[in-house]
Amino acid sequence: MKVESFCSFFQNQESSKVTRRNTRSSSSVTVENPEPNESHQPTVDDLTFGEESITLDALLSDFPGRRSQILDLIRLIGPLDCPSFPIMVYGDASTGKTSVVLQVFRHLNRPFVYSSCRTCYSPRLLFESVLNQLLLHSKCSSNGYSSAKRCDKPSDFVNLLRQALSNVMETLDSKSGTSRSSKPDGKPVGKMVYLILDHVDLIKEWEKGTMILQFLFSLYSVLKMPQLGIILISGLPPDVYYSNMGYTDPIPVYFPVYSQEELHQIFLRNQANRDLYSAFLDSVLKPFCRVTRRVDELSTTISSLFRKYCEPLDDLGLSPSEDLKRRLYNQLKPLIAPCLNEIFRVSSRPNDGDNRGERRQKASCSSENREEVEKLDFHMSTSAKYLLIAAFLASRNPATLDASMFDSTGGMDNRKRKRKASEKSMEKKEIAEQEAVMKGPGSFPLERLLAIFQCIASVGDSSFGEEEEGKEEEEEEEEATGYDRENNNLMSDVLLQVSSLCDANFITKSGSCPLEGSVRYRSMVSEDLALKVARSLRFPLSKYLYRR
Amino acid sequence: MAPSGTVADPPPSSATDSFNSGASEENDIRPFFVLHKASSGSLQGKSTGTVRSKRTIESPTPKIAKKSEVESAEEEDGQFLSNRRLKIFETVWSKIEKTIENVLRDSNSKIFNGIYDWIRESFESIRSYGALSLSEAVRSYPVLTQASSKQLFTALVLTRNLEMVDDLLTFEELNLHLKSQGCHVAKLSSMDFSAKNGVGGCLRGLLRQFVMPTLDVADVTTLASWYRENENHKNPVVIIVDDTERCCGSVLSDLILILSEWAVKVPIFLIMGVSTAHDAPRKILSVNALQRLCASRFTLSSPAERMDAVLEAVFLKPCSGFTVSHKVALFMRSYFLCQDGTLTSFVRTLKIACLQHFSSEPLSIMLEHFCQDRSNQLTGEGNGLLTESTMKHAFDLPSVTRNKITRSTCELLPQFLLDLQRMPNPWSIVVLCIYEAGKFDKLRLLDIFCETLDPEARYLKYFSPSAIVNCQSQVSGRSVIRQVLRKLRDLSPSQWRSLLKRWENLSAEFSEINDKVMELHPLKRSVEAAGQRQGLPNSPKKHASRSHTKLEKELSAMADKVAAVIEFMLREYMKPVESVPFHEILCFKNVDKLQSALLGDPRGRIQSDLLEAHNILHCICCSQRGTTLLPSMHDTSILYTLAQEHADVINLHDWYQSFKTILVSRSSKTKQNSKTCSKSKKRKDRCEEPEAPAEALIQARFCRAVMELQIAGLIRLPSKRRPDFVQRVAFGS
Repeated sequence: MKVESFCSFFQNQESSKVTRRNTRSSSSVTVENPEPNESHQPTVDDLTFGEESITLDALLSDFPGRRSQILDLIRLIGPLDCPSFPIMVYGDASTGKTSVVLQVFRHLNRPFVYSSCRTCYSPRLLFESVLNQLLLHSKCSSNGYSSAKRCDKPSDFVNLLRQALSNVMETLDSKSGTSRSSKPDGKPVGKMVYLILDHVDLIKEWEKGTMILQFLFSLYSVLKMPQLGIILISGLPPDVYYSNMGYTDPIPVYFPVYSQEELHQIFLRNQANRDLYSAFLDSVLKPFCRVTRRVDELSTTISSLFRKYCEPLDDLGLSPSEDLKRRLYNQLKPLIAPCLNEIFRVSSRPNDGDNRGERRQKASCSSENREEVEKLDFHMSTSAKYLLIAAFLASRNPATLDASMFDSTGGMDNRKRKRKASEKSMEKKEIAEQEAVMKGPGSFPLERLLAIFQCIASVGDSSFGEEEEGKEEEEEEEEATGYDRENNNLMSDVLLQVSSLCDANFITKSGSCPLEGSVRYRSMVSEDLALKVARSLRFPLSKYLYRR
Repeated sequence: MAPSGTVADPPPSSATDSFNSGASEENDIRPFFVLHKASSGSLQGKSTGTVRSKRTIESPTPKIAKKSEVESAEEEDGQFLSNRRLKIFETVWSKIEKTIENVLRDSNSKIFNGIYDWIRESFESIRSYGALSLSEAVRSYPVLTQASSKQLFTALVLTRNLEMVDDLLTFEELNLHLKSQGCHVAKLSSMDFSAKNGVGGCLRGLLRQFVMPTLDVADVTTLASWYRENENHKNPVVIIVDDTERCCGSVLSDLILILSEWAVKVPIFLIMGVSTAHDAPRKILSVNALQRLCASRFTLSSPAERMDAVLEAVFLKPCSGFTVSHKVALFMRSYFLCQDGTLTSFVRTLKIACLQHFSSEPLSIMLEHFCQDRSNQLTGEGNGLLTESTMKHAFDLPSVTRNKITRSTCELLPQFLLDLQRMPNPWSIVVLCIYEAGKFDKLRLLDIFCETLDPEARYLKYFSPSAIVNCQSQVSGRSVIRQVLRKLRDLSPSQWRSLLKRWENLSAEFSEINDKVMELHPLKRSVEAAGQRQGLPNSPKKHASRSHTKLEKELSAMADKVAAVIEFMLREYMKPVESVPFHEILCFKNVDKLQSALLGDPRGRIQSDLLEAHNILHCICCSQRGTTLLPSMHDTSILYTLAQEHADVINLHDWYQSFKTILVSRSSKTKQNSKTCSKSKKRKDRCEEPEAPAEALIQARFCRAVMELQIAGLIRLPSKRRPDFVQRVAFGS
């Protein structure tokens, strides 16, 4: 009772103003946008899902394993025109939260407003997105792609939201008055608008995120408009948001991770040959479920695997016999293991009909990996390679060992003697060492990097020289002119190389004044890559690595 | 060499200097300029006088001002010639540059077309999901069709070079290429993906390029609404990120996640340039973002391949006529391999070499004729290029005197030049033939080019019988030609066929070589026949059957024969440029000049300049100082000289005291001197005021000089731990 009187009061006050504004804006749009291409003035109808509403049965069969959640949601949203408390839908990624909520609204055919905090990455965008939808505003070139209202602050948002809502209420009221019983498709039902906010957990990362979160949680009590239902979708459980601020806690609805059978049913939907696909899933799903149960991760790999599964088959329509199943499985078996690994990699869909050399797919990554161990597949200048190795050594070896590893001349024989001494101490401090490994690469000042660089560059060059002498005496004089110069050159432009290594993420820098020289660096290179680089230089990296 | 020529006639030598100062100014004067910005005017003469810097410095002495008429006339002549040379340099260089551009464009075009095809295919597959109505396309919630609809099509373009410089241009061209095909393209760089601006920054960058420059807030919904207007939705949207490694990973991940929410409504294609390994995105992106990428890989040609293509076009195909000597080629090669490794720097090296050639070699104007179409303009010397002095210079060239060509054969000069003009043709054919043979072993043209330029033709010794025996015993060697010869023995019949075919094509214009190649045909046929008898033409060394031994025999006979042909080609036609008379006209040889121009060694230069500032300033006051420090010297220079006496840390107080002693004691002495001798002319500078500078002034000058040293990177300012000491950073010069 109270609610209705409040509502009508609002309507009386606002209706005249709002309608006038509305008409003005719509007329201006039509004048300024003469081209007929899809100029579309949104109406209240656009607040619904927009497609044919579906029955509850269809909804339930669309989402295997989500029956209880769907029923919960419908129950919590409540019957037509009945105010509801805020609801929080939470669960892991790719468990169907957004889809279920949206499809439930499609089923209920009620008006709603959806905003994702991912797309709207700041409070202002979030507020304006909600208001734009409620005010039925669409961005276009004629209005300079601007929002309907400029809204930065939560307080402004509350006011503007109130206005916009009552405006919508009024139109909804008039609509439902005219065509209540006929219930056509796509027309909104009821006198409530629901606000769906997706990815609420991202707000925590925002600047002043906690403040915005508290505002959103208390929005229901602040607004005091029961016509607005609020549904928050979050990847994190509600506990992380709560604080004793005195607002009504939203009612949680948990979306658990799918089980293997549920995944089976999900993937089996919309398949042409259910028998074949089911046989395929039987063989594939189990190993994958141990790694991940996210539908989105699984669907890409599984669809590409299924394509390979079907390759030997001529007729995709046949239902497979046990024998055929076994044969297909045996063919597929070697492909599964690399794909398991692949889930955490860049997923790739093999493009059909691609036989050009330059368009190899990453699906065949595992076989390539073995080749790549041998050589580096991108170009680096020699001095950059030495720098990379120097950085790697500086990060792995303790600084105190530098003196024993490299003496000033960088001699080879000297080093071996010293290394034996360090080997003894190595045995003593095995545990300390392991700790050091767990700590990851260490940081080092630029001076140390350059010192090591100078040592190993000179060693590397002298070893080159030896090789030359041994092999081609006759060419000595020519090579001497050419390669002496190389040796000298290696030292110039080193700082430039350091910066380009930093750019390529091989070395990271902890910031400080560059003039002071107190910046510390850290090598981010994997041992694999360092070994590869060392091999391309024929540099004995393992000899220089402490603990090896 | 150039010095001998410059002694012969002075006007070009002055031009040389001016060119040099111009070149060096570009390269290494800048750090020096920072130091002396506030100092006396003589430097300004140096920094502004681009053309005749040396002369402006010397001009106060009256000796030069009173020149004889003849000299000034000659100077005018030289001026004319140097201007002309500069102009010709521009035409020659523009030709080389255009050639390089074309080569690069050709090398990329295949990849570009591949990328475009991929975009089209994927775009069609997105559209096959079904057309969206306007209201569907701009509404805020995702399209709920299937999980894969959130995938973002991504092309990883591997540039295969650690340095990005070369590929900036490549991506710019890709941008233009895709735009010309009708795609909506925006190019973002790592600058847009800074952690400071966040995802808003890069979205703003996107919208600025797609929608309009001034937008209040950057929002994807704007992009979606824009895409639905004015037929925009007929074409895909492409975003090029040229240096993925340098981007802030979290921001890029955010952008990918946002875009993937809109993937079906706005079909976006991401093209990411990856300069290192193809798993680089895995290192910087979050798992969620990675999972949204549907990646394909495109590999650009490697820098070495591009380099080979450029070399071939510039030096081996008729281009400008300009070429380099063996040593210069070796230097350029080692600079490419060891130092920079970018094509950009190689081209820059080439440009510097070209510029220096034109500045040091008066006869380089002849290159104009090489550059133009090959009509014989040389004989008709209507433009007065061959004046008496240039002729004299031409016959003083070392290559001419070495070959005992004298003035009496003066009229032969055009003939020699014609030879020179023709000369590269058989030479380049031979090099290309060897390159073809070396391709089976993945040899680089760069290496072959360097080796075959050798003026002493040391590669010929590999053809002596002992060397052939040797080369089989040795596993690896530096010599490229030896590797080619060794590889020839492992070729299969089909490879022989393709090799001979390509040789034929290459030598088509040159009958002598072509004949020799044709002689190989009967052999080739017998080898093929032997291979077919064996049934496995592609694997000659697999079966130890009798037919196999026969094939092997044929193959080795073939290899010997081909080696003989190669030897013949090398001996007869491979006259390296440097052994030809008058080659100095075309060929740049001065490797030291190139090196100093390229490497510069700015830090060492700063140090040596600081220690001997008067060599640059050319002021009269400090010219005869010897080893003593004078107060008239520049403060920074005094301080740095004083710092040499200290170890790696310098006590600030001591330093200041010695600085002060030099300023005060000296100036008081000069005060006395000035009273007696009244040589006031010397003291124009403020530093030399008669009375000793005030303590505060000395302190201020001290501070400024210390700051300058710090900015130059020579010292480090006092730390908190040792507030009285500065640390020396650079030692030696």
